[in-house]
Order: sequence, then structure tokens, then C-alpha cells
Amino acid sequence: MANVNKQVKLELQKELDEFQKAQKDIQKCVETRQKLEAQLTENKVVKEELEILEEGANIYKLTGPVLVKQDLSEAKSTVSKRIEYISAEVKRQETSIADLEKEQEKHREKLGKLQSQMSPPAVKA
Amino acid sequence: MDISFQEVQLSSLTPPQLKMLHDQLDQEIEVLTSSMQSLKGAQNQFNESKQSLKTICPKNVGKDILVPLTGSLYVPGQLADADSVLVDIGTGYYAEKTLTDADEFFKRKIDYLKQQMDKLQPAVQQKFQSRQVVYEMLQAKVMAHAKQQSKK
Repeated sequence: MANVNKQVKLELQKELDEFQKAQKDIQKCVETRQKLEAQLTENKVVKEELEILEEGANIYKLTGPVLVKQDLSEAKSTVSKRIEYISAEVKRQETSIADLEKEQEKHREKLGKLQSQMSPPAVKA
Repeated sequence: MDISFQEVQLSSLTPPQLKMLHDQLDQEIEVLTSSMQSLKGAQNQFNESKQSLKTICPKNVGKDILVPLTGSLYVPGQLADADSVLVDIGTGYYAEKTLTDADEFFKRKIDYLKQQMDKLQPAVQQKFQSRQVVYEMLQAKVMAHAKQQSKK
């Protein structure tokens, strides 16, 4: 009986570790997604501003300490591409968050089962 | 209706649970107020830029100015062009704009930020109210508990 209990305990510890790892990973993904979303809104704002500008307006891009002149159409396409890329990246993070949450749920269930296996002897002790 | 529902639920909570709820609301309030402050700060910056634009007008062309190279180093110069300015529109892009366009740009930004703040304000208010309700409930529970203890 004690041996079984030991094994359950080990398994419980393992499950707990994995559960916590999943939790950490989720947190990381959520943080990344938040950062990406902030970038996305900033880029959207820039795109709106670029749309307002008239054809042939002078645009400069800050590269390091210097302002480099850039074509309006080029700037527009760069920002559009960036928005596309960041949106895709946000989606990617969202799917991995969903996957991790499923995994975490699995671990949670297993933990519950293991705990119920553990509890009777624990009460006796 | 909403609040009475909340109170029914609240009164069934134990003091430690109430304390936890109170702390959670505290945290939420902190996040919301700091967002409000950043919005306010950004709005102030746009306002300053908008004000500064007023000094750039044809009347001032050729006048002596001091150009800041850093926050503490200035070099003398003269205002050469009062027709257009460069505006930072975000993510490293700068656009050349006429004075009126630049003025409109800042006005747009300030209005946008005001909208965001107006959206946030009710949420902050509501959190403050909830926290107050939770705090009062916690106080009442603790008092009741103390009374019971003294009776014993």
C-alpha cells in the first residue's frame, strides 16, 4: 500500500510540474501576444496617417540617427506588410495559447484523479 | 439590480475571500489608473507640440532661435522655413506636413486620446465603487466577528 502511495506521489509531482510548466508557457504567450497587439495598433495608426497624406508627400524613415527620405507608396507597402506579418504572428500565438490551455486542462484532470487516489490514506494518517 | 445581485453574493463570502477580492480590485484599479495616466501624458505631449506650432509662422521667418541639440545644449539658428514641419507619425516614420495639416494631425490625436480616456473613465469609476462595496462588507464581517468573540 505504501509503495503504491509512493508511486502515486511521484506521478502527482510529475503532473504538477508539467501543469506548472504549461501555466508558465501560457503566461509567456499571453505577454507576447499583448506586445504584438500593441505593435499592431501602432502600425494601423501609421497606416491611417499615411492614407491621409497626399500623393507625392515627403516621407522620412528614421534609421538610427538619420532621417532617410522614402517613397510614400513604399512606406505604405512596408507598413501593410508589417501589419500582415504581425496579424499572422498574433494568430499563431493565439493557437498556441489554445493548445497550451488544452494541455493544461488535461494535466488538471489527471491531477484531480491522482489526488483522489491519494486522499484516503492521507486522511487516515 | 446589478448591485443588489452583487451584494447577495458578497455577503456569502468569508473575510479572507473578501480580502482577496479587495486586493484583486486594487490591482485592477492600479492598472487602469496607470493607463489613464499614460493617456493623459501622451495627450499633454501632443498639446505641447500643437502649441509650439503656433510660433512657426511666416511672421517669424528669419528670426533668431535656439535649437536644442540635447536637453541641455543649444545652438543659435534662424527660422528658415515656416511653411512645413516634420511630424512623427509613429514606428519611425516622419511626414512633412503643412502647418494647417500638422495642426489637424495633433487635433486628431488629442481627440482620439480623449475618446479613449472617456471610454476608460466609467470602468475606473465602477472598479472604485466595487472596491468600496467589498471593503464595507469586509468591515461589517470583521466587526460582527469581533462582537461574537467578545460575547464568548
